Amino acid sequence: MTVRAGLLLRVALGAALAVFIGAGAGAQTPVPGQDEMNIGDQPGYQPSPAEEQLTGAYAKQEVFFRTTQSPGTIIIDTQDRFLYLIQGNNRALRYGIGVGRQGFTWSGLERISRKQEWPDWRPPPEMIERQPYLPRFMAGGPGNPLGARAMYLGSTVYRIHGTNQPETIGHAVSSGCFRLVNADVIDLYNRVPVGTKVIIKQAVAL
Amino acid sequence: MRLSGRNEEGASQVILGRGGALALIFILSAFMAGCAQTPPPAPAIVAPAVSTDQLVGKWGFAAYHRDEDRARTIKEAKAQCNRPYVIAKGPNGGLMMNLADQRELSELVLKAGPNGETYLGPQSAPAGGPDDRIVSNVDANSFTTVWVDPDNASRYGTSVYVRCGAKHAA
Repeated sequence: MTVRAGLLLRVALGAALAVFIGAGAGAQTPVPGQDEMNIGDQPGYQPSPAEEQLTGAYAKQEVFFRTTQSPGTIIIDTQDRFLYLIQGNNRALRYGIGVGRQGFTWSGLERISRKQEWPDWRPPPEMIERQPYLPRFMAGGPGNPLGARAMYLGSTVYRIHGTNQPETIGHAVSSGCFRLVNADVIDLYNRVPVGTKVIIKQAVAL
Repeated sequence: MRLSGRNEEGASQVILGRGGALALIFILSAFMAGCAQTPPPAPAIVAPAVSTDQLVGKWGFAAYHRDEDRARTIKEAKAQCNRPYVIAKGPNGGLMMNLADQRELSELVLKAGPNGETYLGPQSAPAGGPDDRIVSNVDANSFTTVWVDPDNASRYGTSVYVRCGAKHAA
């Protein structure tokens, strides 16, 4: 193969890879506050098993994923609303996520500092402002907006958590950070230890 | 005493002896007393066991679904006084609070239930209406509510309010 042919082949493969990763996402560049799914938190709502079953691109699945990051690393792609758990050998477990407004506000590298089952929920001040009837603290459990598990990122307020609103997966929403349906967050929780590296990739410029 | 009269043939005869006459007088007296009796009094209006003033103030507001979380939720409620839930007295003497999922405040009143329980809700509905809460475990510095509507109760669980600031005398 000539050098030029080889270059053309690498470009084609790269394009194909980009198409593959983006396939099915139908994602648009989100504008926080404008392209958000118009839904507030519903504390206490408990979805049915049918509602919690994701299908299509946002269902958990193993995908081809080329990266230099080590197996066990999490990469979050907020534009396409996916979370990848690197497996090695160019494979990753891909989970569909919903991204809250907080999740769009930063990018970079953190590590999971703490994990909690059935986390307690403390609505942020801006949510209390919008929904003053909300309790300022709700003990963890089914129906809690943080869902079944939470993984806290460094010393930040950001976290990967479950949800009691499975219909928000694949969407931008007003509150929270990175959310997975409860079955997926439990699955991820069981796979990753405290100290796991988490890389957040943003496509939205502030 | 006895009552006497004449029969169809005009002969005199005793109609009622002494005892019968007394019984008749007794029955007639009772009948006339019944006719003259005033209507029974209206049922007494029972005041709720909790007063409006007890609920006015700033409160740490928290909620739980499982009973085993109550103690730690009360502790957490105390820690929420940096974002207190404020209950003010309304223009008509009621309490200004939010109904479930309602951003605007409504004036609510305390109502006595038929079995001695206390409800908190709009005055327009009787005690135990769909927009009401049951108020319980009331003392000088805390109270508990549960929504009457099953959907609201399922979503919001049990709410606890712990008074912010200095303790009031019990």
